[in-house]
Amino acid sequence: MAVTVKTFANASEATGALASDRAARYLGGGTLVMRALNEGDVSISTIVRARDQALTRIDVSGPRVTLGAGVTFARVLAERDLAFLHAPARSIGGPAVRNMGTVGGNLFATNPYGDFTVALLALDATIAVQGGFGSRDIPIEEFLQGRERQAGTLVLSVSCTRPASSEAFRYRKIARIKPKGGSVITLAAHLPVSGGRIAGARIALGSMAPTPIRARAAERTLEGRSLDAATIAAAASAATEGTSPSDNALGSAWYRREIVGVYLRRLLAEQE
Amino acid sequence: MLELRKDIFADERDDNLKEIGKGTQRQDMLGHITGTSSYFGDHKLQGMLHLKVVRSTQAHARLRRIDTTEAERSAGVRRIIRGADVPRNLNTLLSLINFGKDDEPSLAVDKVRYKGEPILAIVADSEREAFEAIAKVRIDYEPLPTVFDVEDALKPGAPVVNETYPKNAFIYHDVYDHQRLRFGDADAALATADHVLEQRYQMSPIEHAPTETNGAIAAPDTNGRYVVYTSTQALFFSVDTCAKILDVPSNTFHFIGGTVGGGFGGKVDTLTEPLAILGAMLTGRPVRYVFGREEEMQYGPPRGAERIYIKDGVMRDGRIVARKIRAFFDSGAYTRLSSYAAVKCAAHLPGPYTIPNVYGDVYCVFTNRTPATAMRGFGVTAMDFAIECQMDKLANLVGMDPMEFRILNAYRDGDMKAHRREAKNTALIECVQVAAEKAKWPIRDEFRRASSRKDGGGSRAVIPPTPTESRARPAAPAQQRTSYDRAPMTATREPPREPPPPAPLPPPPRPAAPSHGATRFSSVFGTRRR
Repeated sequence: MAVTVKTFANASEATGALASDRAARYLGGGTLVMRALNEGDVSISTIVRARDQALTRIDVSGPRVTLGAGVTFARVLAERDLAFLHAPARSIGGPAVRNMGTVGGNLFATNPYGDFTVALLALDATIAVQGGFGSRDIPIEEFLQGRERQAGTLVLSVSCTRPASSEAFRYRKIARIKPKGGSVITLAAHLPVSGGRIAGARIALGSMAPTPIRARAAERTLEGRSLDAATIAAAASAATEGTSPSDNALGSAWYRREIVGVYLRRLLAEQE
Repeated sequence: MLELRKDIFADERDDNLKEIGKGTQRQDMLGHITGTSSYFGDHKLQGMLHLKVVRSTQAHARLRRIDTTEAERSAGVRRIIRGADVPRNLNTLLSLINFGKDDEPSLAVDKVRYKGEPILAIVADSEREAFEAIAKVRIDYEPLPTVFDVEDALKPGAPVVNETYPKNAFIYHDVYDHQRLRFGDADAALATADHVLEQRYQMSPIEHAPTETNGAIAAPDTNGRYVVYTSTQALFFSVDTCAKILDVPSNTFHFIGGTVGGGFGGKVDTLTEPLAILGAMLTGRPVRYVFGREEEMQYGPPRGAERIYIKDGVMRDGRIVARKIRAFFDSGAYTRLSSYAAVKCAAHLPGPYTIPNVYGDVYCVFTNRTPATAMRGFGVTAMDFAIECQMDKLANLVGMDPMEFRILNAYRDGDMKAHRREAKNTALIECVQVAAEKAKWPIRDEFRRASSRKDGGGSRAVIPPTPTESRARPAAPAQQRTSYDRAPMTATREPPREPPPPAPLPPPPRPAAPSHGATRFSSVFGTRRR
């Protein structure tokens, strides 16, 4: 059976096509779906596309920024008001992948990819999805937990609050091949400071579980404290709690557990 | 010196090359940068079918049952090719130069020896339909114990990877399970050395990662011939390999190569051409077989892994008096070119140094890993990595500058090399001197004055007394020869039905031995006649 490509003018029609066909897959930039097709993934027999302008919109006018699901990493990098997202956007692929790969598609990228999603998780992003039920906003954590069950829905956009300062959001991707290797581990930390103390820290880890996860134990050690050596050491030693990394060609589970605390310490201490 | 008979080959080589320092344009650059170079994959032939292989999901398993009932009924499937359909389903690449034993099937029959080994080939109207049929093939595996480590594979009781090699080692000259180099008495010299340093080195497999993956398109041509567009980097080698596997004369094929989209050694194994041609023979249609990226990365042959132990004896004045090496080449499940790499490695020992006592054991080992193959300098690359790491450590051990230490131990013109050839045109000393100068690395005057052309030979040209091991020396066979070199067997196998293959030609007479004084060089046997 040949693969059918269906192109729609708006997102809701595309959602309808996705909901009615289990073998349909939405094509954003194609960096994941075309690879799967080229490698012989026969579970995909329909490609759904949408020309909807809303999917490629960037809204940076307020304190909360919204990125359409079809916004590419190249566009994120070209947007001066999105400076806090430049490090994660730049860490993805090479120029060709960044020109095509989208914010929405990255939410579905499995290890060792999906680094932008790690940043969004630390930033407590909200994912707007459309399904047969209409559209709704889902907290990113809930979205990731149910990621495999998102068939028949379409991500419209992601939004998050801009960090208060450039020190309040930190990101680091550990790769063996620079500048465009897959992730050994990826770390992102949102560290809002109030009166010299951290309030509402969020630390997200990539490649430490099947989906990006929060390092909640490490977050707790930071809460209400200032970022001194003792606090950082406590966070680093709690980094592996609740993680379940696996082996792949880029690193073993053991290695990931060994290094995650080291890199979290460096991230919090702002060391290279 | 190599002599080229200019009276015969007047235009063969330009002896007035003065290219260094000039911006000379590569001859294929214009095509590449304007996107007009044509590759095998640019050919789209009318009625072209697509071939994909079903690969083993197991690293070592017996094939209990292969059920293609559902796959045969799958839409667009033209033909499913099994091992039994391959005219000569056992080959080794170097049989073309009379080396080694046939050890590898094109399509696995009774068992699989590495994860990703081809079991069936499916020819369909589109790649997609071939993939859909692959998903419908049911294979019943009986998993067998696996071995992935070269030293484990050589232990008694290790699972036998390939029945051609019951001890999991390539057998040289029908007798030796490794390549062996003995020059002087390394053990005695180690016993009297001021320092002894033993280290273990290891290198992982390396993927060639060509931009263009391996592939070929074969199409029936007139007069029972086949035209083959291919990515091969060894066109005539591939022609003969296909002729052998498909059991037809090599003039059955018109191979068209040309632009290779990245080879580096990864496109000599002739993995796609035989099946593409067989597909064309069995269907009468053009057939295209191209590796996907994942196939190329996971199952395409890499540079093989190596593990190397070096034990050196060095005197306080910096002279290395003994070097003892054990090296294990991981060939994967089949030999391809690794057995040859081990020969090359043994000839390279102990590196570009003059050491009076050298001992080398180089094993070509079979494991349940992806078969390894050629890659730039294979057989030497990992060994040089190990040797040069060792040189730095030795220099440190005796408190010498690493550059000076290398100059002190470098081979010079006239020295006897461990494989009993006189060293000629050596230039390590000069290379180190230039490297030191460019890096502004100070070396002392006496080392700056050293020359590869001075102080060599003499006592350094002598083959030292070498103890023989108490082992009955068996009569080595005249040559390692496969049945391929003999006249073709009278065909009892039924040839492919359509289109009818051309009648086999009588074997061409063996060429007479070169008699005009030309240089003949066999890098496998290491013989070089002048």
